[in-house]
Amino acid sequence: MDFLGEGLRRALALLLAGDAEVTGVVVLTLKVAVTATVIACAIGLPLGFFLATRPFWGRRAAFTLVNTALAFPTVVTGLLLFGLLSRRGPLGGLGWLYTWQAIAVGDVCIALPIAAALSAAAVQGVDPRVRRTAQTLGASAWRTAWAVAREARFALAAVITAAFGHVIAEIGSAMIVGGNIRGSTRTLTTAIALYTGQGEFGLALALGVILLVLALLVNIALQVLQGKAHA
Amino acid sequence: MLELVGVRHCYGGRMVLDLERFAVPPGALIAMVGPNGSGKSTLLRLLALLEQPTEGEVRLDGEPVCGGPARSRPTAAARRRVTLVEQRPVLFRGTVRENLGYGLVVRGVRRTEVNRVVDNVAARFGIAPLLERHRHQLSEGEVQRVAVARALAVEPEVLLLDEPASSADRAAAQTLYGALAEERRRRPLAICLASHQLEDAYRWADDVRALAEGKLSPVTPENLFRVELPNAGAGDLKHIRVGTIEIAVMTDRAGPAILAVAPSDIFVSRAPLTSSARNVFAGRVTRLARQRPGVVHVTADVGVELVAVVTEAAARDLQLTPGGPVVFAFKASAVRLF
Repeated sequence: MDFLGEGLRRALALLLAGDAEVTGVVVLTLKVAVTATVIACAIGLPLGFFLATRPFWGRRAAFTLVNTALAFPTVVTGLLLFGLLSRRGPLGGLGWLYTWQAIAVGDVCIALPIAAALSAAAVQGVDPRVRRTAQTLGASAWRTAWAVAREARFALAAVITAAFGHVIAEIGSAMIVGGNIRGSTRTLTTAIALYTGQGEFGLALALGVILLVLALLVNIALQVLQGKAHA
Repeated sequence: MLELVGVRHCYGGRMVLDLERFAVPPGALIAMVGPNGSGKSTLLRLLALLEQPTEGEVRLDGEPVCGGPARSRPTAAARRRVTLVEQRPVLFRGTVRENLGYGLVVRGVRRTEVNRVVDNVAARFGIAPLLERHRHQLSEGEVQRVAVARALAVEPEVLLLDEPASSADRAAAQTLYGALAEERRRRPLAICLASHQLEDAYRWADDVRALAEGKLSPVTPENLFRVELPNAGAGDLKHIRVGTIEIAVMTDRAGPAILAVAPSDIFVSRAPLTSSARNVFAGRVTRLARQRPGVVHVTADVGVELVAVVTEAAARDLQLTPGGPVVFAFKASAVRLF
């Protein structure tokens, strides 16, 4: 218990002191998580809408694929991405291995199935009369999608929250393709793993607290937005 | 002209609609009647170009716009000529004003013009006081009126209404039908409405069509019964139980069918007559309705509810009154099965 108490005391001290390294790790983590969530949702939400509303050959198989991807281990994602981005890999020319871009790409791969599968479920939950009504009133395909999305706004906000939550807490892929390089690709989760291994329990715990606070703040922000939308 | 040609439509392998041709000519006022599950709503959705028929096609002015061998999908331009109001319509999130203007906004109409049209249509439908309300602040009847007004705001050539007055009280229904009549006086508008209320259908429509089991009835929509025809029978004359009575029918068919008796084929008297009619049923008049000048629809409970048509003079001579005695008679060969 002393061990834990000491760790919490150190965490508080680090947070109050505004440690430069901790600040850098937090900023990088947010940059990667926000970028990956935006990209994953920009692709995943329309994909989910398409899966939920358009009948096409192989639709059931596409659903199975997306749902299976939800359970894809993040270390395997990192491993495959490592193969693609390494110097000999097909995308080696980009020079992204061990950069924040590589971590972001890995996070997009992890968040994309979440955004697609959960948004498809959210859209399927909307009363089908909403879509028909928009269509019969002359709405284009985009306008119809927008009308449906407005009705599913709470569920879609939850999809974005879930995607962000997965991305910010992800470690397997970030460790493999980011390399956990100090001042360059060290994120909150990889830093926690490193400092725990080095016996720097206070620092690891401080970063853990920050991670939880960040997740909490994002959820609160989304709830506030939902509240305003409901008013 | 909006029409369905050779349409067969299935849900999960079950045929729900089977129509050789169903046309809505320009300016027509058509009422479709039939029991629940007869295919009325499916027919309206196909006419509204919201679903592709499993077989057959939808045509607009003779041009195929949906379905057919090419499995074509309707263009936005075609869809904008026809508008459907569903039986239990939904309003979008936002105010009634935003809902009324939705169809115009998606057409790119300018805000000032949208507001002008919305104010105009709201006044005609008596919903101006509701303009700033949200959907959860409206009754079911008000939602229905807003939905009809929203559909008319975009001035479609064909308006399809599924039970438009099902949640409205008598006064609200009068306002609704009055506004529709005014709209038809103002501009050419074809209306095709589905209703289970025959009286309303006869009162408001020029053309009443009956739908049963996804097929158009060959006779008028009254006196339709779902029956099971037995395999065995003496000759072709069979006695089919309908409610508490047995109706004599000439048929060699067996299995499920719709039994229909045209109201004009029923002889009405106060006492049984000596005649060749195989079906003679005594009962009490339950309703007398003058739905067209000189014509009275006599509804009687003779074990089941049957409707017959007589002239006003005949109704007077027979002294028909609600609750009074009446005898209905019709020949076995007048009974239609389909």
